[in-house]
Amino acid sequence: MIFPKATISEIIGLLEAVNDAGGVEDAARLAGDFDLELDEILPSIDGAELLGFATVTDGNIELTEDARKLLDAGIRERKKIIRDKVAGVEIIKELKNKFMESDEHRIKKEDALGFLQKNISTTDIESYFKIIINWTRHGGLIGYNSDSEEIYLMPGE
Amino acid sequence: MLAEIKNVSKTYETDSNKISVLDDINFSVEDNDFICIVGPSGCGKSTLLRIIVGLEKPTSGEVFFKGEVISSDNPKVAMVFQNFALFPWLTVQENIELVLESKKQGRELEKTACKYIKAVGLDGFEKVYPRELSGGMKQRVGFARALAVEPVLLCMDEPFSSLDALTSQNLKDELLMLWADANMPPDAVIMVTHNVEEAVYMSNRIIILSPRPGKVVADLKIELERPRNRKDPEFYRWVDKVYSLIV
Ligand SMILES: Nc1ncnc2c1ncn2[C@@H]1O[C@H](COP(=O)(O)OP(=O)(O)O)[C@@H](O)[C@H]1O
Ligand SMILES: [Mg+2]
Repeated sequence: MIFPKATISEIIGLLEAVNDAGGVEDAARLAGDFDLELDEILPSIDGAELLGFATVTDGNIELTEDARKLLDAGIRERKKIIRDKVAGVEIIKELKNKFMESDEHRIKKEDALGFLQKNISTTDIESYFKIIINWTRHGGLIGYNSDSEEIYLMPGE
Repeated sequence: MLAEIKNVSKTYETDSNKISVLDDINFSVEDNDFICIVGPSGCGKSTLLRIIVGLEKPTSGEVFFKGEVISSDNPKVAMVFQNFALFPWLTVQENIELVLESKKQGRELEKTACKYIKAVGLDGFEKVYPRELSGGMKQRVGFARALAVEPVLLCMDEPFSSLDALTSQNLKDELLMLWADANMPPDAVIMVTHNVEEAVYMSNRIIILSPRPGKVVADLKIELERPRNRKDPEFYRWVDKVYSLIV
């Protein structure tokens, strides 16, 4: 599979821009508004789609009902919506299951990288790890301790 | 009146010459002002902001905060920097707690830090070091740290200009949500930017500076309803108006 290399902030920024345009916007035009190339915003579009915040047809990005809920919500409620969405992403579910099997509900970064490498075809698995941790931290699901180099289930899980 | 910038001029002296950077700047800051200072690069915007928060002295003139001459240790004024200015060896939470240490201790300190971490959506990132954060999350730490001292006046120097375009869009909207929240500090904001669209989007007042030495060439009230829409023709009329006043 491929996984979109976009942070949650970038994805929400994209949704806000589509919302300003009335809820539907041509991807190329949106890129132009930001002085960006289309391929610079593609990861954010893919991310929005993967999280169920947008649908894309013929280069048109359209917000979903959930995206509207997200944009109408305050900063703290947004976190809850993000959490539900991130928790539903297949590779993140599988990663979580992996350490539910482990004794202390934590696993080494190395093992997480190994798992991701098997699922994502890339030579740069580190940056995907970073993005996935960005998503799961936003969602309050999976944290990463850079001292012990372990990922763990966040409290409340 | 919250603050008053009175006849502020600044000249830098180097071995060989003198550079006049700011020339007789005057304006006052009222409660609920969200002021953007715009002007070309090098016109003295950052210098002016540093003078307003007391980090630098004007060559002549004065800055008053609630009637008193401003000093750099004024706890009612906080600053957000373009490059975040976080301590790399401290976690998110420690970076925020650090600025509170002179005011609060123990449980109360932790509670305040926690409140502002949540307010900016950083919960889940408390124990993370800056190097692991995206630019957007770093600047959220910058906001949380500034808000945590519960300032009356918040000053920001190009807080979005180190961020990519989409992240910057997201953070502007979040900052405006915090600004709209009556339970959140501050009472007034002064933000420096060189981006006219950003100024029209964020502020209710724009102060335009001339090229160096910076002089106030216009002080405009932006009468646009919120939430603002960057696609709105009315929005663009304001943007055009500001551009027309920039030399
Ligand atoms: N400490 C200093 N010593 C000498 N010159 C300085 C100093 N700080 C700023 N300047 C000069 O003052 C001018 C205004 O700088 P600055 O306030 O950073 O402008 P802006 O933020 O509008 O781009 C620039 O020409 C800069 O080189
Ligand atoms: Mg500057």
